[in-house]
Parts: sequence; structure tokens; C-alpha cells
Amino acid sequence: MISLALLRFLRRTPWSTSMALVGMALGVASIVSVHLVSASISSRLDGLVPSSLADFSYYLHRENLHTNDYFELRRMWRSGALPTLERLSPVVDETAQVADLSVRVLGIDLLSQTPSGEIQTSTGQFAFNGVWVDETLKGALSLPINGIIEAPEGTLLSDISVAHDLLNWPDHQLSYIGLVIGHAFAQSLEVAENLLPGFGAGLPVAKPNLAIGPGWQLVNTAEQYPARAFGKSILFNIAALGMLALLVAWLLIYQVAVSWLRRLWPVFDRLHGLGVEWQSLRNYFLGSIGVIASIAAGLGLIVGWWLATKLLQMSVPGQVVALDLSAWVVAKAFGSALAVCLVGGAWAFKRSQQGKPQSLAPLLTTLVLLFCGLICVLEAKTGLAGGFFTIAVLSLAAGQTIGPLLILLKRWSSNIGGSYLMRVGVREALWHPAELSVALAGLSLSIATAIGVGLMVDSFRLDFSQMLDHRLKYDVIAEGAPASLEALIKAPRSVHQANRIQHYRTADIRVNGVLVELNVTQMDAFESSRYAHDKRLGNREVLLSEQAARSLDVLPQATLRIRGETMTVAGTFSAFGDLKPRLIVDDQSVIAAAMGADFKTTSVAFKSAAPQALAGSLKRSSSMLEIRLQSDIRRIALEVFDQTFAITTVLITIALLVAAISVYIAVTTLRLNRQAGRQLLNTLGVHRVEQHLMNLSMGIGLGAVAMIVALPLGMMFGWILCNVINPRAFGWTIELQMSAGALLWPCAWGMLAAILAGMLQVGGKEEGAFGGH
Amino acid sequence: MTQDSALTVNKISKHYQDGSRQIEVIRDLSFNVAAGKSLSVTGPSGSGKSTLLNALAGLVELDDGDITLEIEDTIFSYRAAKERARTAFRRQHIGYVYQFFNLVPTLTVLENVRLPARLNRRPDLEAFASTLLGDFGLSDRMHDFPEKLSGGEQQRVAVARAVLLRPPLLLADEPTGNLDAENSAQIADILFSSCRDQNIMLVLATHSNDIAAMADTRLHLDARSSARLTPE
Repeated sequence: MISLALLRFLRRTPWSTSMALVGMALGVASIVSVHLVSASISSRLDGLVPSSLADFSYYLHRENLHTNDYFELRRMWRSGALPTLERLSPVVDETAQVADLSVRVLGIDLLSQTPSGEIQTSTGQFAFNGVWVDETLKGALSLPINGIIEAPEGTLLSDISVAHDLLNWPDHQLSYIGLVIGHAFAQSLEVAENLLPGFGAGLPVAKPNLAIGPGWQLVNTAEQYPARAFGKSILFNIAALGMLALLVAWLLIYQVAVSWLRRLWPVFDRLHGLGVEWQSLRNYFLGSIGVIASIAAGLGLIVGWWLATKLLQMSVPGQVVALDLSAWVVAKAFGSALAVCLVGGAWAFKRSQQGKPQSLAPLLTTLVLLFCGLICVLEAKTGLAGGFFTIAVLSLAAGQTIGPLLILLKRWSSNIGGSYLMRVGVREALWHPAELSVALAGLSLSIATAIGVGLMVDSFRLDFSQMLDHRLKYDVIAEGAPASLEALIKAPRSVHQANRIQHYRTADIRVNGVLVELNVTQMDAFESSRYAHDKRLGNREVLLSEQAARSLDVLPQATLRIRGETMTVAGTFSAFGDLKPRLIVDDQSVIAAAMGADFKTTSVAFKSAAPQALAGSLKRSSSMLEIRLQSDIRRIALEVFDQTFAITTVLITIALLVAAISVYIAVTTLRLNRQAGRQLLNTLGVHRVEQHLMNLSMGIGLGAVAMIVALPLGMMFGWILCNVINPRAFGWTIELQMSAGALLWPCAWGMLAAILAGMLQVGGKEEGAFGGH
Repeated sequence: MTQDSALTVNKISKHYQDGSRQIEVIRDLSFNVAAGKSLSVTGPSGSGKSTLLNALAGLVELDDGDITLEIEDTIFSYRAAKERARTAFRRQHIGYVYQFFNLVPTLTVLENVRLPARLNRRPDLEAFASTLLGDFGLSDRMHDFPEKLSGGEQQRVAVARAVLLRPPLLLADEPTGNLDAENSAQIADILFSSCRDQNIMLVLATHSNDIAAMADTRLHLDARSSARLTPE
């Protein structure tokens, strides 16, 4: 009977019910869309690692790795000296020219590990001298094919002995030893990764301490596959941002629950008087909110799926997007909607029952958490999760300041001057901390996030643009197959009408066990200036990208052993967007001389007085190459940059919308409680236009309070994103710029949301509890 | 302003709709009040006292009949006026005191009293607000917010605000209903004396026979929508 009465109450309060439904559905849509986008990207990123190597969590590397090293390690493991190690396996991993194709040759021990691809031999059994290849190499090689595997383009998998033959390596040489190291939380992490794709990238990486003697370098999967780690870090960032709308939706549900309980409480009081226990009343109330949560979850799933499709089409135009609505995402949608609604409702019920708690516990907890947050900022080992933990703690602390701030402003509010009606409007915004603080916390949080992300994006854009200014000193760039590029270099200069031709060669090598990209080119003063280095690079000097300096843990002027040669780090350079750590040496350097043929030409750059004509001539003479003008590269680079942040803009907009609904609900509740005051003003002859002006003043007051908290909080978010999150996620630093646009636009949108919430009158005449006025 | 004013209520009727049921609150009610005179309205709950006062304030539309207020040879007809015109008229010419929720909680005592002067752009009356508060024994509470005042003090502030403009008509809807006997007597005394001194017509709804007896005329409404007018 009580459940039916409560459901009728929801029907008789259509505006607040529908607003709660819309807000919650938007919150669910936000996490669903992020999940679907992330899962789609994550599966593509996982495809970067051949399935046969996917189990390895670490790789052991040393110079001139010998099979004897592996057997020695295996003996130690068998004797129990390496207890955390679950499995180890020798691996050959090198790129070679096979049948005129650049192929990544992977050699594994077939006796201990059989590839998962389907056997395609006539006998149904694999041959030890045969190979497994990815789809692109099928039919391109003359070797016996055992089967097709899931792997990046151009991957060949075979037994170690076959790999040695293909690479012309001595039969004792290995690339590294793959390790499977177990840990207590492996299963929990797998569940977390399914619920939140990219979750693992946010956790701090602590290398296990293996007692295996000197000379070994332990490399984790992220360092081995930097492109995958880079992508997963982006996913973690997006997932964290996707949670924002859900958090604001939680505050919204709390606000709605408070609003409903205000009207229901007298009835609950009477029912309690009739002998119904408070716990039962709470359960009935939570049950009715649960109905809204379930409907919102269903709606959120549909909207989230649609949104994810649009976002993926936006980020990868022209691609067919097929999203998998897995059981995980359905569980996540319903689970999070129910959790948010039930926790928000229970919190509101408890507050209505007990009044405002006077305990110091929340304040002390926040102070302790703030201290932990400070440690997370200072200590890089806490990883991405540490950075986001600090942001969460700051949000919590800022949310808690709204109530005391409103009390402070209430005391000061007698000093407000101007028209009396404006005073009434502004004071209405400041005088009701109990009714408004939670909704204002949500609005402040959304504005602060928009400011923080905006500051980071603007700062990043500026640095990126400056990097492009440095890098794009050539007029025309040619890219394509190494042979075609070599042919282009050898052509007579007069044909190219170019003042300067620069060619770039590249090889992937390991330095201190870390896989890096080594670039070789003529590093005279002009070329060095492209990397913010003011003079010619010496024969024993090397330039490092920021990511490389961080991965190798070296500073300028430090020395570095590269392929047996000692090199001095001459400087570091920004390399936004690079997937791998990068090193640059001069083409006359000792390393370039030692490695010689290992390099392949990747691009050729031209300086010319007539770039358009040059580009046209190159396109005609080298149709196999991709010829691009510098101006096109800049435009495309900035377009891609802006596309990258489209998803963040959408997620912040959703959060801001949910926050605006939350403020609207709070203001409507306030209005319901202050109807007598409004009636009095009407009696005094205050007409509708003046009442709208009062509401406008109130909206401005609400917006101003949100701004007082959001501005400093947003600046702190911006600083953390630039100086903590970015270096930890991607290895680069961004100089924080206080751009006016990033500060003002979110404030303007936030103010508009507050004003609309303050001025909208719809729903203000909802019926009271169980239909009574 | 309060010279030569008169209130005429001519056969007014008002009903409310409750679903399919029509509830007649006032039927064919007529009376007059002359300048400086007072009328008390009594009757049981639901007899239409508050509806009558709201009709006199122009807050509700009439179904039938008309109310006119004559101020210095100008006659304002409620029935002919639109809602916005009635609001502007009320702002300028009518004072109102409720039983409770009389003050704007977010304005100080002085701001509350000055509010009609501000709304009517009458800066000349702002000093009079302080004088009135002094006369009503509230000079030390001027800068407090209403929440700090007692019920009796709040009602005195409400009366001060209602008489600030010296309106021709002051309406009081059970102004003492929420007060103890001592404060009730004090508020009634302030109300009647202020209106008499400033030649303001007073229409006061009350349950108290003692207060009703202080008025020049008494109008009794009963639950059957009928009225009986008796001079005191």
C-alpha cells in the first residue's frame, strides 16, 4: 500500500521525477558511452600485442642475451629462488626483410607454448619448421604456414630455431625472456578492467624485485609496447572524466531525494505514529527511487550507445562502427544507476531523519585525504591513479566548503546594496545552505572540471602549436616505402627545385632494455634548431624526447650507452603525439656509422622557394609516395588535436547539464518552501517582471557562489593535469597557461545554467505529499 | 492621499472549483467603508474571510459584482482592471498585514519597512520608516533580520510597513491570530490608532470578538455564504 502511495507521489510530482530521470539517464549515458568507446579502442590496442606474448607481464633483457642466460635463470626458478615468477620463456623478436617485406619475426619455444591460432595444415598438426602469420602475410610468404594468428600487420611467429634462420642469427642469441609474474590482485584487476577499460594503466607500476644478479634490465609491458600504454592512458583519463557526470548525477539524486522527503516527511511521521518502522519507510522510499534508477539505466544505455557511435564516428571518420553491448556494460549501467540512486536516497533519508550531523569526522577525514592527495602529487610512483585521486579529494574538499561558504556569505549579506528586490534575490541564493549546498557543489565541480580541462587543452594547444612552428621548417614532406624514398633522394636536385633536402632514417633499438626509436639525419645547426637545440649535434651526442629521458631516467649532460657506444645527452625536446621514446643522432655519429644498414629511410623533407610547384612535381614523379605541404600538415595536425578532445567536451557538457538540473531541482524545492514569501511580495505589489528580475538576481547569486569555488578549484585541476597527469600518462610536460577563454567560457556556461535554473518556473507548482497541497 | 476615499463592494461573488464540485465562497456581498473608518470581518473557518480580503486586495478575480475604491475623485474598478493594473494599484494604495509570513526574511527590519517606498520610488518616505519603527518601539531592531524578532515584534514591523505609504485602504487578515493576549491587544491598538490618525480605511478579519468590537462596523460571514452587517 505504501509502495503504491509512493509511486503515485512520483506521478504527481512529474517535473521533479522527470528531471531526476533525465539527470540520472544522462549520468548513465556518460559512463556507458565512455565504456563502449573505451572497449572499442582497448580491443584495438590489445591487438598491438601478438596474442602469444599477451600473457607476459614483464620482459628481461640484457646485452648479447644468450640461451645460457635463459637456462641459468630457469635453473634458479626451478630451485625456488624466484617465487613470484609463474612462468618464463625465451623470445626472439626482431624485424627482418622476408620476401621483400618488412616482417616482425617472433620466435618462441613451441614445446612450452603453442600459438592460439587455428591450425591450417592438411594434417591438422603444426610443423616445427612452419610459421604462423597475421592475415596480411597470408599468401605473401613462401614458408609453410601453420595457421593465422591475431597480431599487428606484418607479424610472423615461429619456433626459435626458424626465427634464427630467418634473421641469420647465431642459434644461441635471444632478444629477451618473457616473464609471467603473478600478484594477489590479478583477478580483481581483470574484473576492474572489464568494468573500466584502461583501468590498469592508471595504477602505479612497481617493478618486482627479482634476485637475478647484475646486468639484467626488467622492462614492463607498458615500456615494451608504448603505443598500447599510451592509448590505455588516454582511456583511463576519459574513464575518469566519464565518472564526473555520474558523480554529479549522484548529487542530483540526493537533491531530488531531499526535495521529495521535505514533502513526504509529515506523512512518514504519521505512518511512523501508526506503527510503521523508520527502516521500512526508508526501504519503501529507496524502492521508489530504485524504480527511477532502473528506468534511467535503460534510457542511459540507449542514449550512451547512440552517443558512443557518434563519438567514434567523429574520432575515426569514415570507419564502420560496430559496438558490442556486452553484459559488462549492461551490468555497469544498472549497477551504477542503482548504486547512485540508493546511496543518494539513503544519505538524504538519514540527513532528514537526523538533521545535519555535528560530527568533526567528515572534516578530519577530508584533511587526512588532502594530505594523502598531496603525497600523490609529489610522489610520481603513485601513477595516474595518484593524480586522479588528488583531483577527487580536492573535489570532495571543495564540495564541503560550499556549506560554510554560504553561511559566511549569509552573515556578510546585510552589506549587499542596490535595489531591494535584487537584495532579496541574491540573499535567497546565499541563505539556504542546507537546501542548496549539494546542488551548488555539483555545479562548481562541473565548472571546475571544464576550467581545468580547458586550461590543459589550451596550454597543450599552445605548446603543440609552438612545437609545430619549430618542427615544420621544411616546405614539403615526402613519406612512403623506403625504396621509393631512396630513389627520390638520388634524383637530380634540379628536378626537385629544392634549396635543401633532408632525409630521415629510423631504427627500433633497445637502450637499457627500453624499446626506443632511433632517428638518424644530418643534425647541423638548422636541423638541430627544429628540436630547440642551438648548435650542430656532435659525433657522440644524442637528443632525447621527453618521454625517452623519462623512460631512461637521464638528464641533459648525462651519458648513455647505446649499442656499446657512450653518448652524451645534449638536450631534450617535446614530442607530443610520439608513441615511442625517441632518440636523435647525427648521420656522422659513431652510432650511425656502427649501425649503417639497420636504418630504413622513413621520410624526406624539402625546402623550396616554390613549395606548391615542388609538391606538384613530386606528386607527378613519385606517385607511390605521399607528398604533403607544410601548411597542410599543420592544419591536419591541429584538426586531429581538436578531434582528440571532442569527447572531453561532450562529457563535460553532459556533467554541466546534469548539474544545472540539480540546481534547478534545489531551487524549485526552495521555491516550494518559500511560497509564502513570494505571495507576500505579490501582495505588496511586486509584479511578474520584477519577480523574474529577482529570480535573475538569485540565479546570478547562485552562479557567483559556484564560481567562487570553481575558479580556484579549476586552476588547481589545470595544474594537476599539466604537471602531474600528463607527465605520468604520456611522459611530456605542458606549461600551464592561464588562458582567458578557458577561464571565462566555463564560467559563462555555469552562470547561464545557474540563471536558467533560478528563472525556470516550470514544476514549481507540483503537488505536495500524496497529492495534498 | 487618504482624503476623500471610499470603498464600495457591490454584489460580489466568488467560487472555487474542486474537481466537478463548485464551492461558493462569497455570494452577492455588498458593503461600503468610508475614509478613516474600520470594518471587522468575522465568521467561522471557511466562511470566506481571507477570500474577501484577497478580493479587496485585487489578488483574486471576481466572478460577479465589482469592488471600487474612490481616491480623490478617481474611481478604480477592480473588475475592469487587468491583473497587472491591479498589482500596480495594490502596490500604491493598499497595505496588507497577514497572520504570519509578513516579512521578507532576507531583508532587514528597516529594509522591510522601506520596501513599499522603494517599490513606489518615494525616497521622501524613507526617513518616515525609521520614525515609524521608533514609534512602534523597534528603533534598536532596525538592522536585524526578521528571524531574530519575536512574533509580536514581527507584527509591529508588518503594521509599520503597511501604513508607511499612508494608503487609503489597509487590509489585515487575522493579524493577531498568532499572538498572545498582551501582544494581540498591542497590535490591535497600533492598527486601529494608526488608521484612525492617518484617515486610513481598515478592513480586518479576525476570530476575536474583542478585536472585532473595536471596529466601527462589523461584518459577519457564515458558512452558507451569507453575510450580516452590523454597526458596533
